[in-house]
Amino acid sequence: MLRSTIFTASRSLFAKPSTVVAARFYHPKVIDHYERPRNVGSLNKSDPFVGTGLVGAPACGDVMKLQIKVDEATGKIVDVKFKTFGCGSAIASSSYMTERVRGMTLEDAGAIKNTEVAKELCLPPVKLHCSMLAEDAIKSAINDYKRKRAAATGTATGATASASA
Amino acid sequence: MDRMVEYFEDLGDEHEIPGYDVEYQVSSCKKSGVMTLKLGDKGTYVVNKQPPNKQLWLSSPTTGPKRYDYDAEHKAWFYNRDQHTLKHLLDTEISKAIGININVPLDSKS
Repeated sequence: MLRSTIFTASRSLFAKPSTVVAARFYHPKVIDHYERPRNVGSLNKSDPFVGTGLVGAPACGDVMKLQIKVDEATGKIVDVKFKTFGCGSAIASSSYMTERVRGMTLEDAGAIKNTEVAKELCLPPVKLHCSMLAEDAIKSAINDYKRKRAAATGTATGATASASA
Repeated sequence: MDRMVEYFEDLGDEHEIPGYDVEYQVSSCKKSGVMTLKLGDKGTYVVNKQPPNKQLWLSSPTTGPKRYDYDAEHKAWFYNRDQHTLKHLLDTEISKAIGININVPLDSKS
């Protein structure tokens, strides 16, 4: 009842011909993540066990940074932080993603689909892109971590090779 | 984009499709626009312009979100991950959803 009242009221406020804005409301889950974002912050990106994913289009106003710290022995994500500039759905998507992947193996985290994020946050069709950005971000962070590890192992092997030569 | 919206509006007028609705909202600066295409229980498609990086963004109820870049040479909108066109995806998915063969005017030939 209250909801429909607000809807009608805001419609009449915004229903001028030049600025027709449809009144849309974020789902309570999105608002919760937006107001109390989980795991905001940064990890040291030069740490060899931290993977950083930076995705989005600055021109469009959405930039998402997601970082994971991985325990090499278990291959699990032990810490995760994010910083996002963007709409409420983009912030909520990244916040939810950080909660979701903590404690996961890289393989499981990389298998999370945008549809899962969109479903959990009840994102409307026009906001599905935000969930895709979160999927891209975690994948990018995982790839960065793997690249770092490969480079570190590669360098170590190279050093041994040149030392023995 | 305008031609596509018109096409979908005509499609709704010509055929009796349950739950069908097309809505097009243009921002006050006329640069960005959002087309919302409702197909009843088959879900909702959204196509919107992203003027800053000259992309069209699509949100499909069955295959999710995608971004398309315009290729001037081929005069078509391509998805950079697998090079299919927006036209191809819309024609295929929506024809299947509503049971009518459609031909969205989104490339040079139409």
